[in-house]
Amino acid sequence: MDMNVLIAVMVILPIASALFLNLLHKKDRTIKIIAIITAIVLPIIPLLTPYGSHFFGGYVPLAQDPSLAQGLPALITGSQLFQFHLGIMYVFSSAKQLMIFILGLITFFAIFTFINESKRPSGVYAFLMFMGTASVSAILLSDDIFNLFVFFEIAALAQVGIVIASGIKNNYETALKYILLGNIAGPLLLLGIVMLLGITGNVNVTDMIFTLKNGYVNPQSPELLIALALIVFGWLYASGLPPFHTIKSAVYSKALPHGSALLQAFSVFTMVAIGIIIIRLFSYNPFTNIAIIGISLIAMILGITMAIVQTDYKRILGYLAVGELGYIGIGLGLGTAFGITAGLFQAVNEAVITAFLFIGFGTILYKTRISDTRKLGGMMYVNPKVALLVLLAGLAMAGVPPLNAFQSKLMLIQASIQSGLPELGIIMILLSIVTFMTFMKAFYTIYMRPKPKELEVLDNTIPRSTVISLVVFLIVCLTLGLFPEIATNSLQTLAAGLV
Amino acid sequence: MVIDSQLMSFFTAGSLIVIGIFAALFLDNLIKKIIGLAFLGDGVNLFIITMGYKPGGIVYIFLPDMTISNFAQTAAYPLPFALVLTNIVIGASTLAVILGLVMVLNKRHGSLSAAKILRDKGE
Repeated sequence: MDMNVLIAVMVILPIASALFLNLLHKKDRTIKIIAIITAIVLPIIPLLTPYGSHFFGGYVPLAQDPSLAQGLPALITGSQLFQFHLGIMYVFSSAKQLMIFILGLITFFAIFTFINESKRPSGVYAFLMFMGTASVSAILLSDDIFNLFVFFEIAALAQVGIVIASGIKNNYETALKYILLGNIAGPLLLLGIVMLLGITGNVNVTDMIFTLKNGYVNPQSPELLIALALIVFGWLYASGLPPFHTIKSAVYSKALPHGSALLQAFSVFTMVAIGIIIIRLFSYNPFTNIAIIGISLIAMILGITMAIVQTDYKRILGYLAVGELGYIGIGLGLGTAFGITAGLFQAVNEAVITAFLFIGFGTILYKTRISDTRKLGGMMYVNPKVALLVLLAGLAMAGVPPLNAFQSKLMLIQASIQSGLPELGIIMILLSIVTFMTFMKAFYTIYMRPKPKELEVLDNTIPRSTVISLVVFLIVCLTLGLFPEIATNSLQTLAAGLV
Repeated sequence: MVIDSQLMSFFTAGSLIVIGIFAALFLDNLIKKIIGLAFLGDGVNLFIITMGYKPGGIVYIFLPDMTISNFAQTAAYPLPFALVLTNIVIGASTLAVILGLVMVLNKRHGSLSAAKILRDKGE
């Protein structure tokens, strides 16, 4: 078998498994077995797959296989059409390997926790989780911007489904808001894509860049600026950056903990994938970097400060997650190889840490069915081991050494100083302190203050699978914190190619 | 006066997009919002179709009596039409989900007012 077929398998396997699970209504044991097997395989495939490209339908560019061009007129063979990609192409590199591996790992633990916490696991819920994972993997892999748009829409629908399936109060209202906004952002993103198609004659990103760099298109044309604005709008929606930060944090809070863990990973990796495409296409225009940094700063400030005033711990985490997205954006916006590496490293770290926190705090919901911090307290005595793990997750998010976000945030601060923007470094340090304070306030309220008399703690013991998930997330945080080069070596090749 | 049909199509697409965004953002009735979203999606589809229009062009089907050179010069660019077809499917799916959600919320709240249903609910 051509090993590059495995690039497509990263998307096809979760879709096939999802479609099959959807049919298995009430067949609990079969659902568990298939879901777990698929979830185990997901993080393994990217590790086995060699780097390279996969051409759907075998349509390589004519330049790579001139025999295909035999008999074609000079109108085609003598023009840039000879270089262009004729079909959908997926590109797999070391950076994408790391990101898809982390996405697969989070999917595995989300499924693992869901299967063990549910008495009767729903095949439809597993379907939604796998469809979301497949979509985000495709978004990461695709070099075809229209293919990216298709999976952007599927991912949005899967996210809405995960919220609807949660059964949490007012989840339908939140799902409706999210999908209504998505139905504005989606067509506008498509409009941006087709404007690019109109200008460059292509939907393949590599070919668009070829067209732009070789003078076939005027890079300063106003149509390109409009396309940039429309694509950025779609990017803001998919990532949950302002003005979509409120609805995104509401979506996280209306999903079950394992669902929220996965949803935030979708947002992080979609933000990175579309962000990379924006940088690849438009980095020649200094306005692009300024816009990314500006939006990211607003996201950091709004996300983290709005987290302070929340009383529902899921909303606190939701807003903190949005705030952390700002750090990723700053890294991308700095535009230097070191800055982009730092931003990508922060993305990997944030996906792991936020999943760690959502599943960790999810144990509170499991034991009390309450997420309002005003009604909680004394949970430290209920399960001190889980409390310690949650504390470590919070410290990781705040950037406390030797955990992983310390390394990425330090790199971001160094990158901002190197780029002549030390003010950004100062703001990032201040906001890390605010993140730490916000987390500690929530932790104290839930775990350390005396237990309210009216609080009922259920007898059900926290499943061992949940604790195992938390321990593995801690191990990942510690490993990336102590040996950051494991991640940065993979990410810097991609970053260097973007500069 | 001869009006350029491609220009008029672009104008119509733009109008549909603007009306759609206005309805989706500012009208209170959820069904009207959905109609606005349909306008927006159709406007984008019309924009893509108009972009793929080639004056004097032929349908991009290669028939036995054609030469490759003549076909390459006269056939319309098929990609925009493939995109529209895909987008119609996506649009129909998402509108079906939205309508399903609105049906559930209408039963629950007894209203189609976005202000009544969505105010302080999802936040």
